[in-house]
Amino acid sequence: MINIDIGATAIAILTLFGIYSLMAISLNLEYGIAGVPNFGQALFVSIGAYTAGITYTRVLPLLAGLESVHPCGPTMGQALQLRSEIMAAQPLAGFINLGLTFLIAAIVSGAVGFAVSYVTLRLKEEWFLALVLLVGGETVRIVVRGADDFICSHNGISGVAQPFYFLRDPHSSSLLFMLLCLALALVAYVYSQRLAHSPYGRMLKGLRENEDVTRGLGKGISLARAQIMLIGSAIAAVGGVLFALNTGFVNTNDYVVNLTLDIWVMVVLGGIGNNRGALLGAALIAILDRFTQVGAIALNMSGSEIEFNYVRFIAFGLILLLMLRYRPTGLLPESRLTTNAHDVVRRAIGASNQPPTPSRHRDGGHPKHQGGGAMRET
Amino acid sequence: MLLELKHLRKDFGGLRAVDDVSLNVPEGAIIGLIGPNGSGKSTLINLIAGTIDLTAGQVIFAGEDISGLSADAVFHKGIARGYQEPTLYFKMTVLDNLLLPVKGQRGERPWYAPRWSTWQREERAHALAAMEVLRQVQLLPYYDTLASDLSGGQMKLLEIARALMGAPKLLLLDEPTAGVAPKLAYDIFRQIARLRDDHGITLLIVEHRLEILFDFVDYVYVMHLGNLLAGGSAAEISDHATVREVYFGD
Ligand SMILES: Nc1ncnc2c1ncn2[C@@H]1O[C@H](COP(=O)(O)OP(=O)(O)O)[C@@H](O)[C@H]1O
Ligand SMILES: [Mg+2]
Repeated sequence: MINIDIGATAIAILTLFGIYSLMAISLNLEYGIAGVPNFGQALFVSIGAYTAGITYTRVLPLLAGLESVHPCGPTMGQALQLRSEIMAAQPLAGFINLGLTFLIAAIVSGAVGFAVSYVTLRLKEEWFLALVLLVGGETVRIVVRGADDFICSHNGISGVAQPFYFLRDPHSSSLLFMLLCLALALVAYVYSQRLAHSPYGRMLKGLRENEDVTRGLGKGISLARAQIMLIGSAIAAVGGVLFALNTGFVNTNDYVVNLTLDIWVMVVLGGIGNNRGALLGAALIAILDRFTQVGAIALNMSGSEIEFNYVRFIAFGLILLLMLRYRPTGLLPESRLTTNAHDVVRRAIGASNQPPTPSRHRDGGHPKHQGGGAMRET
Repeated sequence: MLLELKHLRKDFGGLRAVDDVSLNVPEGAIIGLIGPNGSGKSTLINLIAGTIDLTAGQVIFAGEDISGLSADAVFHKGIARGYQEPTLYFKMTVLDNLLLPVKGQRGERPWYAPRWSTWQREERAHALAAMEVLRQVQLLPYYDTLASDLSGGQMKLLEIARALMGAPKLLLLDEPTAGVAPKLAYDIFRQIARLRDDHGITLLIVEHRLEILFDFVDYVYVMHLGNLLAGGSAAEISDHATVREVYFGD
């Protein structure tokens, strides 16, 4: 049987949870809150991963004051060796490289997200954008896989180093990496919560509910949506960088439509439009992922012919269908909380000599009306 | 003249919904627009507001040619509108419905949005302004209610209140009393008249309930099959032979 190291398993799951959280929060901002159906999440995640593939093999040696070695083909071993030496001996160069990777990935991915959506949303409606991103993501992937020098075509590129490699202790370095992933997920969560509960979030929710009316109320809707695509794509790319650091290599096969589907399952499962729901969805999928991996190995060892990946597909498809059928809002429905305005009005009413207003908890339940009957019809 | 329409035309495929319509709306007036079903009234409102593209003609607003501007640009010029069917943000509270259209909100820019301290004071001022508007239309007790939980009449009032938050010079209303009980319909019109009297807002109102409309308007235009059939005071239109023929069927 398989030995399961509880500590290592917990670290692996929590690391994955942090990475998935970034992806789910990104899609939740775009689709959950703004209603932009991004079917190209894999593309934006992959931009982060490709960036890491390039910076760790081309930029890192320069930062360490060394000449870079071509990471593909016969010199691959040499390039890996060089990477390991730098990461072990010059942690500072490693961290600068990591910062640069995040920065470049976020900028490139954000720019692509902004440009593609701004152009297409001005031409057609949002489902056209969904299609463009779906097809575009796959096209980019095939082009990248075909390019020899970029990330070593179909072989993928090795040498994306874990940032805490210099500790030379796998356990503590993976623990620190987990903390990094969780910290970034937390930052993204707080940021997106603040964004969702702002006038900008209100405008995006307005767009989601009624585009024509929102335009009629003076909002430049293509720009607002392109902006949220910029933000969401940048967050997805940060997730992609971490994803690559976690696996240690970058292969285009990891960024197929399946990844997009996984992220959609997280958001639909957790709660569309609820950032907390995105976190819950990410957690559930991270756990499920781990189980399917362990299950796959177990199945393999027992000599079964069943390809566990297919079981996973079926499970995810079922989750999507069941959720959409029985609980379309997800496990954690969206809250109605918006800005400070409601508190302002409640206090202002309380301070004046108005008759008592209907009060109720703002996060749920239906309001009970009292007073103000003059304008109500029966 | 606040609004001038010059030879406005709209074709839907082979159908000419609005045909060479020219009319004027003076500043501070309440102008009625009537006509049988399908005569092109809503289409005309849509053309002025930039909701749909025009086929030919010009829309001049405050001396400026605004033909072909998109709906958001038209709103920023000072034209707000209501819709024939209630089109609120049904999943938002009454208060959020009012705050969304406020122009130039700093917190609507993604750069400031996550930094609450940069816009919360402004939001507070907008909330208090919205409170006054809600008080006027007697919806204040419902500020925290979902728009979908309002009655039909309240929805119509909320739509007007929402348009007001954009501080328009001209308000276009498409059947503001559709589906509302008669007594309440009169109430709604009194509220509308106050917009002009208290806030100096000019109004162009499409309305089927002539008996109410005629009590409030300065001038009435009549449309029929996409054409402008007549224009005159309420009394003149009531007595107009052709209008009576196409509109009242006698
Ligand atoms: N989007 C549209 N596409 C095609 N025909 C339309 C459209 N909107 C309105 N029409 C047609 O234009 C004519 C005028 O409609 P409308 O302006 O809604 O009339 P009214 O508001 O006076 O009842 C009708 O014949 C209607 O069927
Ligand atoms: Mg109509």
